[in-house]
Amino acid sequence: MLDNGIKEGKTNMFGAKEYVTIYTTCYDMCTQRSPYNWSRDLYQRHGETIENYLTQTVLPALREKTGQGGTILLAELQHRWSNHQIMNKWLKKFFTYLDRYYVKHHSLPTLEQAGLRHFKSHIYDGTKAESAAAILSLINEEREGEIIDKTLVKSIVELYESMGMGGLEAYTADLESPLLDSTRDYYVKKRESWIVVDSTPDYLIKAERALAQEKNRVADYLNNASETKLLRVCEEELLEKVEMQLLEKEGSGCRVLLANDKSEDLRRMFTLFSRLEKGLNPMADIVQKFISSMGNDIIDKRKARLETEKDKNDDPKFVKSLIELHEKYLGVIKTDFAGHSLFQKALKDAFVEIVNKNVGQYTNAELMSTFCDRVLKSGGEKLSEAEVEENLDRIVQLFSYLTDKDLFAEIYRNQLAKRLLNQRSASDDAEKVMISKLKMQCGTHFTSKMEGMLADLAVGSDQKTEFDAKLKQHNSKLDFSVQVLTTGFWPTYKSPEVVLPEQMSTCMGIFKDWHENKHAKRKLAWIHSLGNASVRGTFGKKSYDMQVTTLQAVALDALNGGKTLTFTELAEKLNLEESVLKPLMHSLSCGKYKVVTKTPASNKINSTDSFKANPKFSSNMRKLRIPMASLDASHNTKRVEEDRSIAIEAAIVRIMKARKTLQHQQLIAEVLSQLAFFKPNPRVIKKRIEALIDREYLERSKDNNNQYNVSSPPPTVVLIGILALA
Amino acid sequence: ETSIYHTETTLLGISMLCDDLGIDALEDIRVLVLLWKLGANEKPAQISKEEWKKGCIELRVDSMAKFKALLPALDTGFLDRTEFKDFFKFCFQFNRQGTHRTLDKDLVTALIPMTLKDRVPSKRLSTFCDFLTESKDESYSRITLDQWTSFLDFCYEVEDIADYDEATSAWPVLIDEYVEYLEELEKK
Repeated sequence: MLDNGIKEGKTNMFGAKEYVTIYTTCYDMCTQRSPYNWSRDLYQRHGETIENYLTQTVLPALREKTGQGGTILLAELQHRWSNHQIMNKWLKKFFTYLDRYYVKHHSLPTLEQAGLRHFKSHIYDGTKAESAAAILSLINEEREGEIIDKTLVKSIVELYESMGMGGLEAYTADLESPLLDSTRDYYVKKRESWIVVDSTPDYLIKAERALAQEKNRVADYLNNASETKLLRVCEEELLEKVEMQLLEKEGSGCRVLLANDKSEDLRRMFTLFSRLEKGLNPMADIVQKFISSMGNDIIDKRKARLETEKDKNDDPKFVKSLIELHEKYLGVIKTDFAGHSLFQKALKDAFVEIVNKNVGQYTNAELMSTFCDRVLKSGGEKLSEAEVEENLDRIVQLFSYLTDKDLFAEIYRNQLAKRLLNQRSASDDAEKVMISKLKMQCGTHFTSKMEGMLADLAVGSDQKTEFDAKLKQHNSKLDFSVQVLTTGFWPTYKSPEVVLPEQMSTCMGIFKDWHENKHAKRKLAWIHSLGNASVRGTFGKKSYDMQVTTLQAVALDALNGGKTLTFTELAEKLNLEESVLKPLMHSLSCGKYKVVTKTPASNKINSTDSFKANPKFSSNMRKLRIPMASLDASHNTKRVEEDRSIAIEAAIVRIMKARKTLQHQQLIAEVLSQLAFFKPNPRVIKKRIEALIDREYLERSKDNNNQYNVSSPPPTVVLIGILALA
Repeated sequence: ETSIYHTETTLLGISMLCDDLGIDALEDIRVLVLLWKLGANEKPAQISKEEWKKGCIELRVDSMAKFKALLPALDTGFLDRTEFKDFFKFCFQFNRQGTHRTLDKDLVTALIPMTLKDRVPSKRLSTFCDFLTESKDESYSRITLDQWTSFLDFCYEVEDIADYDEATSAWPVLIDEYVEYLEELEKK
């Protein structure tokens, strides 16, 4: 009955009545007492029957189909497998009772497992190689664009999966592994033909397509576990092995794509190479070199311009070009390279190289500061509030790449002072915005002096109203206002002790008293070289309002009424040195508005000249501004150097205080890491170390010349002195 | 008996002593060795009464004859490296003038050959003095104690400048620049 049942089972479904009958028979056979218990026999016969069926019926049928072409074999295999699954299921149903007790009791494989095992050893193991080959061949056909029977393939794949008896070993070893090999071979061939003929973008499009296809393939009919492995093979063969060739291809490589702004191609390149471990590094490298070379072009342009043009501290074309370059590639990195950190670093490294390459007399730090000056001063660039903020933002980005940030700060501070003192600042808010951007970059300490300067002005304007009232009380003939500056915030200025006309000294006296009253402990020092004055000059019948410096006003006063004075007489009367008087008189007698006549006439002031007010002076304008050359340098390089020495020593002291003893190279390294605003070369640091050795704060270690110790005991005087300044 | 030399504790007294001993106070290094051994330490170019007394007792000299007998032992060849280092440092300290903590370059170029003769190859001594003399660097117009002692250490440790590595060197910048000078010489 068993045998019949099986034969029938492969074609018909059993009806419920028949099912119950067979089930009960089995039940009865298994529940009788020994020696009438047939469990063991039943179990054995189950196995034998299946075996026989497989070897006698199924196997020959399959053998007949081999050699007739892959699809036919596969179809037959699928048919037999499907039958076997049905048979297995029904047998299990019939003999469930065996499963429940006999099998469990004797720890035997379940009926289902036994059935599978029989199929595996008698059918599958013999056919697996051939059918795998058949599948692979179909896959390759599909890759070439042909339509294949995906359902058939999928069902065979399921066979392989099932043959693992719960695990994927059979699938992995018998199907996946040869699949990976054949895939590799396939793509090696493809790559070899594409790489020769195709441009990089075209190749990448093909590679991208292939990867997408393979991914779909897995979803369609392979096991999910294969996806990573399969794609990895493709990535290795299509991308990894030819990465450098693709990146460096003549006429279509990465550099060329960058130069031609091929955004879509770059994006694809980025996406594909980011699949590889370290795949982006060579690409970022090329990007960095490219940006560097663009930057160097800008620098070369400046160099060329300097050959014909005058070298000044102002080169807006240069600064704007750098800003534009930076903005452009900031954008490219964002859109084409997903803002990836490797490319951000490439941009940064390229700009650190460019920004610190100085050409001509003036450093880039100075050029950048002057650019800010243009943006921030009134009468500079005409920009909206938003444009101002944008420009400042971008300049600060460039600034972040500067090594000599302290030099920038010094120059910026000087220019800021000039703007503030001459009331040439376009917007107080804009000044604050810039300072706060610098503060965000560099910290409070960096901008403290600048903020101090703004604070002084704010205080000044408050106090002005108070003082104005006081001045009125004294019936002063002159309109007079004073700006008090806190030493230390502001740059140091020359302050010639010029002899002032009485009216001026009187005003000064009033202020001095009023100020002393308010702030008893503070000492005032007058800096006349910074003052401005408005002088009404009458030349013949016409009068003019002249905006001049205090010093110019004093000189004009001396020449009032048509007097003639020689250079020497003026110098003595006003108590001014040649170095001050010369530029002063030049501005009045050799500039645009020659309100003073110089004899003999020339464009240079000599100490033998004599001066008198110009009786013939006339101008269409009623209000004249007569500028004078600044008496002070644009900034103090020496001061920057001194501050650096102090900063280096402070860093050494801090470090050695904590470590007590340190090896030379480590000390140098730690000092460098602590200095944020400039980067001294090791010799400069060594000189400071020697200075500290000389002052007996440090000593060389007795047994090791390469080591430093803090002297014991360290002289406290030295420490306090340095730390206060730091 | 020796106290006659000690009414004057300064160089005058010392030079009187030298005359009596028959050695040249300015050129003979044994003067310095003697002063060092006597323990002159408080002030440069002087030896105090206490130091003199103590030193004479330690060296067991209480007569001119004994001083004369001591002379041969004042040869620096008898000193080992550590002792010599100490003596060499003394040479610097003793020759300071007034309140200065450094030595004038010219004095240094005179002292170096005198004190280091036979201990350092003469080529090294002469090139170093040439280097100092030719240097236009303002900061080298005066030499510090650290630079002085480092020069000796340098001569001991670096015989062949090919071994010199500035990148890792903790030597004073003076020595770095001296090595550069030597390298330039070699090229010519």
